[in-house]
Formats: sequence, structure tokens, C-alpha cells
Amino acid sequence: MAQSSVRPPGVSAAAFKDALKAFGEIVGPEWVLVTEEERHSYLDAFAPGNPDEHAASAAVAPKSAEEVQAIVKVANRYKIPLWPVSTGRNLAYGGSAPVLRGSVVLDLKRMRRVLEINEELGYALVEPGVSFFDLFDALQAAGGKLWISTPAPGWGSVIGNALEHGLGYTPYGVHTDTICGMEVVLPTGELVRTGMGAVAGTREWQIFKYGYGPVWDGLFTQSNFGIVTKMGVWLMPQPEAVANVVVSLPNAGDLPVMVDTLRPLRLNDTINATYTIMNPFRSIVDGFSMQGKSRPDIYQGRDSIPFDVVAKELAAEGRALWNATFNLFDRDKGLDLRLAAIQEAFAHVPGAKVLTKRWQRGQPIEQWMRVQPGLFALGIVDWYGGPGGHMNFAPVVAPIGKRVGDLYEAIYKRFVEYGVDYYCGLLNVGPRALLVNAVMFFNRDDEDLIRRGRELYRVLAKDGIAAGFGDYRAHISFMDAAADMYTFNGHALRALNERVKDALDPQGILAPGKQGIWPHALRGNKEGHS
Amino acid sequence: MKAMGTVVMLGMWFAAFEGVAFATAEAVLSAQEQEGKHLYDRTCIYCHGPGLWATNRIAKRLDKDHALLENRTDLSAEGIRAIVRSGVGSMPPLRKTELSDAEVDAIAAYLTRTAR
Repeated sequence: MAQSSVRPPGVSAAAFKDALKAFGEIVGPEWVLVTEEERHSYLDAFAPGNPDEHAASAAVAPKSAEEVQAIVKVANRYKIPLWPVSTGRNLAYGGSAPVLRGSVVLDLKRMRRVLEINEELGYALVEPGVSFFDLFDALQAAGGKLWISTPAPGWGSVIGNALEHGLGYTPYGVHTDTICGMEVVLPTGELVRTGMGAVAGTREWQIFKYGYGPVWDGLFTQSNFGIVTKMGVWLMPQPEAVANVVVSLPNAGDLPVMVDTLRPLRLNDTINATYTIMNPFRSIVDGFSMQGKSRPDIYQGRDSIPFDVVAKELAAEGRALWNATFNLFDRDKGLDLRLAAIQEAFAHVPGAKVLTKRWQRGQPIEQWMRVQPGLFALGIVDWYGGPGGHMNFAPVVAPIGKRVGDLYEAIYKRFVEYGVDYYCGLLNVGPRALLVNAVMFFNRDDEDLIRRGRELYRVLAKDGIAAGFGDYRAHISFMDAAADMYTFNGHALRALNERVKDALDPQGILAPGKQGIWPHALRGNKEGHS
Repeated sequence: MKAMGTVVMLGMWFAAFEGVAFATAEAVLSAQEQEGKHLYDRTCIYCHGPGLWATNRIAKRLDKDHALLENRTDLSAEGIRAIVRSGVGSMPPLRKTELSDAEVDAIAAYLTRTAR
């Protein structure tokens, strides 16, 4: 077996060699991936900086939960940190790369069975390697009565995206809410099933989340407390009809009124899926990517692209400064009622335009419906000309116009100060929350821009602490900084997470540093990893 | 492996790509090339299909005649393998757990097929 030039910290070369040999005896030596080319494929493809800072020492790819259990036991024996990934496409958040350099990636992509599709009850039971493409195909093959909710990139894992609190654009778009029942390998190797799955012989695992006693599913999301090897996911029955709505407002200061007008419509379920409010800059970028255009075509300055350049581009395309888009899912007559209510609400907003289009069952699925996975989102990554990447800062805020407007402007000022273009989409997570998803693009060979982007993230996190906001998800380089934002009572939540971590994972082998949760032995090194 | 000749219609992607309509042509694919096309349609097409972002990006960097990989006649199997495994630009590497070496070879065989 080839040797790796990177080792887990604190593990001798001999012990690491023995561990890899033991992994190979479990999965077969061909699935212990340790050559330079193989390890390279697990680097963060969109790394904001040197990807070697988060290099894995190897990857091991099991085929079953039993193999995962055996790997975990070996990892405990040799104190090898494992970094589980489902499909490893968590791009912009680290991809498949670990927080702790030298961890062994536990690549679950080979576990890609769709174990059950239940059209009567609207759910599927899947393994972690099942991508949105895979599940879409399986549902179509089963008859097409159920639809998935897919995030922007379709090669991500259904399980992984739900565990990372990902979003889609249907009524089932809060993916963590669609989780129903998990099978989990604990950090010490035991296998458990949550909810009704704890009843041996149950047929109700995927229909009731709560079981009896504490609900554990949430503890395995955005955490390092267990490895999810199976998961139930609720799926939407195919609706009779879908409508797309684009709301446009003309003025630079129209974000608060957009938010305040959408809020009651979302709260009373007139808008029954995720909406996205695009800032002016985002509106031009999304259009550019499909045209093969990028920033150098309109602006070459090293500063943040000026607002008047953006406004001029939008005007040339006949588009407004603020655009919101969302889809509605209902029977055809139901859509009529929903659209009438939306038109009526925006009739009171000066300059508002509402454009719609419709789909009915039997017609071909169209891209705007956002129910068929794709990879269109990758096209924006080369905004600065490429090869590109991006990182995100996405604080959670209530959809109250002034509060959102103030936060949006505060972030905007920082982007201008650090000379980074301000691509921002505001997405609702259910009816009561918005993410202000501020995206920092960069060219991966532009050290200066990357440095400014990294500094920008850190200053935004500090601003967030001062103003009482928290980020919802973070790149592996910023997981500690994001966790630092959750400050109440001397970071009491982090202390609780650490107590749970130490209880479940006494050797600290599972995903050290994920979401800022470090095992006892590594807690002192935290700053070195963020 | 027994060659199972299959007639496929290439260039069914006749949707206009920046004003260019691709001509259709018939070709007989070997079993490996057929598998490669199947994998291409499941893996590569989402970015490299007609009118999609990677196609448009290549058109800008090279020219429109080189934009659609399926129409190229200047690709080498070795180059395809290197790009799939190492990535290029915004395309991340595809790992062995996503595509086996044999599957990458099949895609390379399809994109370098001589019968067009």
C-alpha cells in the first residue's frame, strides 16, 4: 500500500500504517485511498487559501454500516480522526476536506442504495451516498408520484444536505425538517436507530419522528456525534400545478418593503415554498454565468464593484434592482387564489411588477420549477474570471423589513471596506426566518482577494456578535469563528456540546472541530485550526 | 467484452447553443463507448450539455466549435482521464468512489470514439 505524506496528528508512522492495513482488511485494500492523486481528490476544491491546510491523510470507503462500525473501532484503537462525508460535495463549506489536517476521510459515497420508496406515504429511505440525481432517477423509475426538494447543486447527498441544514425550493425545502428516522454508528462503534426505528421489526420508522423519549435526530445534524448510515426523508406528492413568481422592485432602498410584503404571505402559507430575494449584484451574476460572461467583462477594478456599474448592467437588461423569485405548488384553482393574493399585496408597493408562469401535471418539467437537480449553480463560481471559489456568511434574521435592511446594509459596508463584490441572496427558512446569504467570490490564485475575503468573514462574525446575530453554517476554516457567535452565558451551548462530545466520543476520533466542537484532547489547539 | 453495436443519435441536443445548431449524425458505439455515453449523460452533461455553463465557458476560452465535448475530435483519452481525476478550473476532481477507473475509461472511449 502506498504511503501518505500526511499523517494524523499524534499518530506514529508505524501506527498509521497498521491502521490503514486494518482499514484495508475491512473494505478491501483498493478502497483505502492514499496515493497523492487519490488524496488530492479529497482536497477542498474551492479552498479559500492553501487547500493543504485541510489535507486528509487518506480516505477509506466502506460499503455498509457494518464496515463503518468496524472502521470506527479501528480508528478508536489507533486514535485516528475520521471525517465522514456522504458525497463530499459540500462545496463552499470545505467540500470533502476535514477541519483537522491529517484526518482520514470516511467516504460514504459507495453506500448509495435507495432502500425504499413509499409512494403511499410519501417517503424514501436512503443511504448517505445517494445524491439528489440518484433519488430523482429512482423516484422517476418508481412512477414519478413523488418529487424531491433539491438544493442548487444536485450531486450533493440527500442525507448530507439535510444534516448540514441545507435548503431547497419546494414546500419541503427546509431539508432538516424532512428527516424522519436515522440509523447511526456512534463514535465508539455501536449501531442505533432513532425514533420508531428503535422498535425492532417496526414498519413505522419513516412516518413518526418522535418515537418515545428524547428526539435524537437533531443531535446528529451539524455535529460530530455519530455517522448517519441510513435516513428517512419525507417527499412531496407531485402537485397538480406549479406557478413561478418573480417580483421586481425598482429602487435601491426597496429591500425592507419587499421583506415586509412577502412576510405575511409566507406566514399564512399563500407562498408555500422557499423564496429568494436577490440583491442587484446577484441578479447580474446569475445571468452572466449562463452567458459565459464574468466580472472582467464589465469591471476590472480591485475594489468592490461599484453600485452604478451593477445598476447600469441591470438597466441594459431591462431588469429592476431588487428581484424576488419563488414557486407555488397547488391545484390549478388554488394557484389562481394564491396569485391573486400576491398581486393584491404588491399592488400597494410603488413600482412593483409581478411576473408569473405556470405548469400543469402532464407537461414536461422545466428548469424554473427547481424540482429537477442540476449543476447550474457551479457556473457562478468563476465570477472573477476563475478558477474560482467562494465562501459564505449567512446570519439568521427575522423577516422584519427594517431589521433585514439594517443588517443587509451593515454587511454591504464591510464588503465595500474589504473590496469584495457583494453577492447576496436572502432565503427564507420556513415562514419565520431569513438567511442573509452574503457570498464572497474569489479567484483561487488571487492571494490578496482571498486574504481580504477571510478577514471579511472574521470581521462580519465579530460584527454579528456585537449585534446579536449568528451564522447558520460555515466553511471548515471558520467553524470556530461561527461557533464563537453563539455567546449566551459564556458560550454555554458550546460547553454543552463539548460535554456530549466527550461522553459519546471519549477518544475524540469523530470529525474533530466540526461546527467548532472539539474533543477534550484537542480543545487547546482550537485557534490553530480556524 | 463483446462489442454490442448500438445506433444512437448523436446531436439530439439540437437546442440552439448561442445561435449554433449542432448537426445530427449516426454512429455505431462499442459496448464500452455505449457505457461511456450512459455515464456521460449521468455525470458530465449537467455542466457540459448544450447551452450550459461549462460549454459556454469553453466556447469563450477556445471557440464555439470546441465547446461541446461530445462533438470534439481533438480530445485524448489520457487528457480526459487527467482532467476527470485532477479537475480543472471550477470543475472539481471526480473520485474513485464516484467513477471507477473503468468508468472513466469508458467516458474517455466515448469522447474519443472514431465512428461519428
